[in-house]
Amino acid sequence: MKTKKSGLERTFDICLYAVLSVLVVVTLYPLIYVAFASISDAAYIVAHKGILWKPVGVNFEAYKSVFANDAIWSGYKNTLFIIVFGVMLNLFMTSLGAYVLSRKNVMLNKPIMIFIIITMFFHGGLIPFYLVVKGVGLLDTLWAPIIPFAINTFNLIILRTSFQSIPDSLEEAAKMDGANHFVILFRIILPLSLPIMAVMTLYYAVDKWNGWFYSSIFISDRDLYPLQLVIREILIANSTEGMTAGGSGNDLFQIGETIKYATIMVSTLPILMVYPYLQRYFVKGVMVGSLKG
Amino acid sequence: MRPSASPSHAGKPVKSKEFVVSRLVKDLALNRYLYIMMIPVLAYYILFQYGPMYGAIIAFKEYSPIKGILGSDWVGLTHFQSFFESYYFWRILKNTLLLSLYSLCFEFPAPIILALLINEVRNKRFKSIVQSVTYMPHFISLIVICGIIKDFTNSGGLINTFITYLGGDGQAMLQKPELFRSIYIISDIWQGMGWTSIIYLAALMNVDQEQFEAARIDGAGRLRQIWNVSLPGILPTIIIMLILRIGNLLSVGFEKIILLYNPAIYDTADVISSFVYRKGLLEFGWSYSAAVGLFNSVVNLILLVLANRLSKKFSENSLW
Amino acid sequence: MRKTKTSLLAAVLAVFMILVSVTTACSSNSEETGQSSNSPTQSAAPQDNSNEATTYPIQTDKNLTYWAGINSNLAGIRSSLDEVPFFQEWQKRTGVPLTFISPTAGQQKEALNVMLASGEMPDVIEYSWISFPGGPEKAIKDGYIISLNELIDQHAPNLKKYLEEHPEVDRLVKTDTGNYYGFPFIRGDESLLVFQGPIIRQDWLDELGLEMPTTIDEWYTVLKAFKEKKGATAPLSFLSEGRLAALGNGAIIGAFDINQGFYLDNGQIKYGPAEPRYKDFLATMSKWYAEGLLDKNIATTDQKTLDANIISGATGVSLGNAGSQLGKWTPLLSEKDPRAVLAPAPYPVLNKGDVPRFGQLDNAFAVNGTAAITSKSKNPELAVKMLDYAYSEEGHMLFNFGIEGVSYTMENGYPTYTDLMMKNPDNLAPAQALSLYIRGNYFGPFVQDKRYSEQYNVLQSQKDSIEVWKTDAKSTKLPPITATPEESTELAKIMTDVDTLVNEMTLKIILGSEPLSSYESYMKKMETLNFDRAIEIQEAALDRFNKR
Repeated sequence: MKTKKSGLERTFDICLYAVLSVLVVVTLYPLIYVAFASISDAAYIVAHKGILWKPVGVNFEAYKSVFANDAIWSGYKNTLFIIVFGVMLNLFMTSLGAYVLSRKNVMLNKPIMIFIIITMFFHGGLIPFYLVVKGVGLLDTLWAPIIPFAINTFNLIILRTSFQSIPDSLEEAAKMDGANHFVILFRIILPLSLPIMAVMTLYYAVDKWNGWFYSSIFISDRDLYPLQLVIREILIANSTEGMTAGGSGNDLFQIGETIKYATIMVSTLPILMVYPYLQRYFVKGVMVGSLKG
Repeated sequence: MRPSASPSHAGKPVKSKEFVVSRLVKDLALNRYLYIMMIPVLAYYILFQYGPMYGAIIAFKEYSPIKGILGSDWVGLTHFQSFFESYYFWRILKNTLLLSLYSLCFEFPAPIILALLINEVRNKRFKSIVQSVTYMPHFISLIVICGIIKDFTNSGGLINTFITYLGGDGQAMLQKPELFRSIYIISDIWQGMGWTSIIYLAALMNVDQEQFEAARIDGAGRLRQIWNVSLPGILPTIIIMLILRIGNLLSVGFEKIILLYNPAIYDTADVISSFVYRKGLLEFGWSYSAAVGLFNSVVNLILLVLANRLSKKFSENSLW
Repeated sequence: MRKTKTSLLAAVLAVFMILVSVTTACSSNSEETGQSSNSPTQSAAPQDNSNEATTYPIQTDKNLTYWAGINSNLAGIRSSLDEVPFFQEWQKRTGVPLTFISPTAGQQKEALNVMLASGEMPDVIEYSWISFPGGPEKAIKDGYIISLNELIDQHAPNLKKYLEEHPEVDRLVKTDTGNYYGFPFIRGDESLLVFQGPIIRQDWLDELGLEMPTTIDEWYTVLKAFKEKKGATAPLSFLSEGRLAALGNGAIIGAFDINQGFYLDNGQIKYGPAEPRYKDFLATMSKWYAEGLLDKNIATTDQKTLDANIISGATGVSLGNAGSQLGKWTPLLSEKDPRAVLAPAPYPVLNKGDVPRFGQLDNAFAVNGTAAITSKSKNPELAVKMLDYAYSEEGHMLFNFGIEGVSYTMENGYPTYTDLMMKNPDNLAPAQALSLYIRGNYFGPFVQDKRYSEQYNVLQSQKDSIEVWKTDAKSTKLPPITATPEESTELAKIMTDVDTLVNEMTLKIILGSEPLSSYESYMKKMETLNFDRAIEIQEAALDRFNKR
């Protein structure tokens, strides 16, 4: 009996590892492709057909020309500011909302929830939004990509669902000890929700990292451009469409293709590093321990 | 909902109104700290979400930037009519819904399965490698991803080389209407599965370990544990995600479509958003696209309400 | 349950009403700004009726705000226009200090939109005003920008002189009712107007002992030979976004005496796909496709695929621009295969000896970079004087060649770019270096000089192309006509459906997924799309244009 079962277990494990390994290989390809393309020789990349197994004609020109751009560095700086303060605000506001909305026996929670969900479907469009942001005086500041985006409703709902699954007994116990809601949220709920808070951090940080559209509308001072906006201008400059119509421009085209990939590397690698770091918060059993304690 | 608006509703039975008001007063007193905590959140929504919402009325106007949103001329339902009467209305509606439904059937479960599988991996190193790698494609821009897809599917591409090797017939796959949906969905799964699975992984972390132990003691195998413990443990998250997904059934973004499609496969590939995009190329169709957006939103909201109601009926979970 | 709903609705409406009233207050500001617009036109009528030329630099203590995009060649080199030597020199020469506002590359439209909506406008806006919704006429009527007729007449002698000497350009740069709305970008020579056409592997032709093909039949022979003898897997390949985009100017399809879209036939507006000869074109293309002469992936061929096709030797004939294609492919190809030679080929015709009636030909008035003066400008007169400098002799040299002794030197009366431009010591590509000192290599409010492109197009094949690609397109090209605002909405509505139909039909028939005979049934569908009305609108627009 026992041996048969462990045999089954082993088959399960083999299948598991096999499936996931295949998945790793398949999903790794786009990144490898970009990485190889970014250090390839532009002339070869343009002519290349089919799969890219290795860099063709290794060449770091593209990186040189990307990093030669001063705006990249100020872009990193601005993006860092937006992420640090933006994500802090996001997490604070989202956990406040998620906490209140996950409480039971609060009469207005249902109408508030509907009030909030409606905003997922109806928008006024760019111009009224712009006028509001302008009215609040956020135009041309680094707060423009932060404050008007303090809460993502999707994330709020996910966090609320997660808070709801925390047993009431904990809250009751804390209340007995005279804890107020702030204490319950920050001392009990949040420490128990580290994995989902890590997810929230990641989702918000990536949002901020990738966001460029509203920055392009709200910020006209080029010293305040976040990284993605700088990157976008480089990409456009090196794309065929960016070349003046009708004019000529043989010289720029060749490097353009590899610059595209180099900028993608420069603009994704740092954020890719965030996840492995957050992974340590994905620890099982936090709940059990504290429940017992 | 009743309490908040009842003061302004005179037509209601006096008794229930009074009852509601008194309950509300009690509730406000009892939960005052919670409501105070909610103030910044509500302030955010009122200012930045509801504040600009009046702009949606341009769907009923002929928007001209100079006259402004409120000053533009009313045109009633003209834009809606023009959308519904479009020669291709039914085709793009059908394509949008089908693409969305396929995505619901195949794309939605993929990250759940991935999370469950990753959760079963005992080797920590391998586990973190799988997690980190599968989420990477999310970061590669759509243009590059679509470039790779085109590369793979063209008549001399990787997939066709493979098919010819197996004795099949190579073909330009993106020129075949019948293949478009598969290409679209599979590449979506490829790109997004790892990223979405993170939510489920986080939810799995909160599943009570004692239940696993209990199941193990009962002699449940791994598959049984997944089915009986893990899956029920993350069911609330799954259901909420499902409801939200259903509330997006009519939203198929145009970016990926326009990067992949061509007129030869309009039959299956042309969706509402890509159609509106093409129209926008010919004119500044602010009002028209606002009207189409409003139509989408209303349908989506109805679907969301239905899904929420069903979920409430059959499970404990709901959005409100 | 029902009660819940109505009360929810009531609550939402209540919130909505409050917000609307709040925002009405806010946005009424921007409306006022819009209405106050008409007055400057009149008040701009100058006290001093000085019709004489302005002396530069102008003595002024005033400052103008100037809204213009940063050319993409400058991305990464200079982050704002203030730092660009050209713009510094321009301010110095005109004597008018400028404050530049530049939207993010690729976001001009959105940025302009919110700027206009917010009611805060600079003095000058450089934009492709012809693509403004409802056209420039509407922008004037609604009080965004001002009509420049009087101001140009009195304060812009240089532009006025140019337009008087070039009535054909004059007709292009004003609206149907005769309003000048901006300082235009003008391509100053015919040779600057032709830059696109067929490109062929000359070395393959030579090797196989074939003549340069000029007719559709000869193209067929050549393509067949390329496929069979040179192993080309996609002998003919070109960009195909939408409906075979590369044919948009009439290559190949022009041989059948029609064009892809609207065109002129003896002064009448015609639409290619609706003409019976379109069927002949489809027959030829589907035959080529079936025989493997046309790229198998023709419906999905993008820039990258095309580049790879050309450089890997899979393609022998293509269509492209002298700069962005011929100029790119030639060095890449010769790196791979030193014997390879790309040459421009004439537009094919049906009968030997015919002159191609269709082909790429730009209008002398290029739509990009028209500098208009806004209704908010307090100094329209100064702005006009400042802008007029570009059309003077000195200004012309500055815009096209930069600063003498720095970016160019006069050699035998010919302004020659210095090595700072063409072989930049900081490793800037010529396109980048030029963008620092001139505007001649992109666009702006001035007249472009052909001596720029003579020096910039360095390859012999590029120089030849202007002659080889010459066609009779002048007689068939539709001028830049504009529908009225109401009509343009209607036209767009019809044409979205028509385009979808025609694109689909064209590709399906060429790819062989539908028989040639289905052409007729598509034409019947097209009638139900109210296509005749589209022609009517276009004819009316053409009439208005002709009456200018």
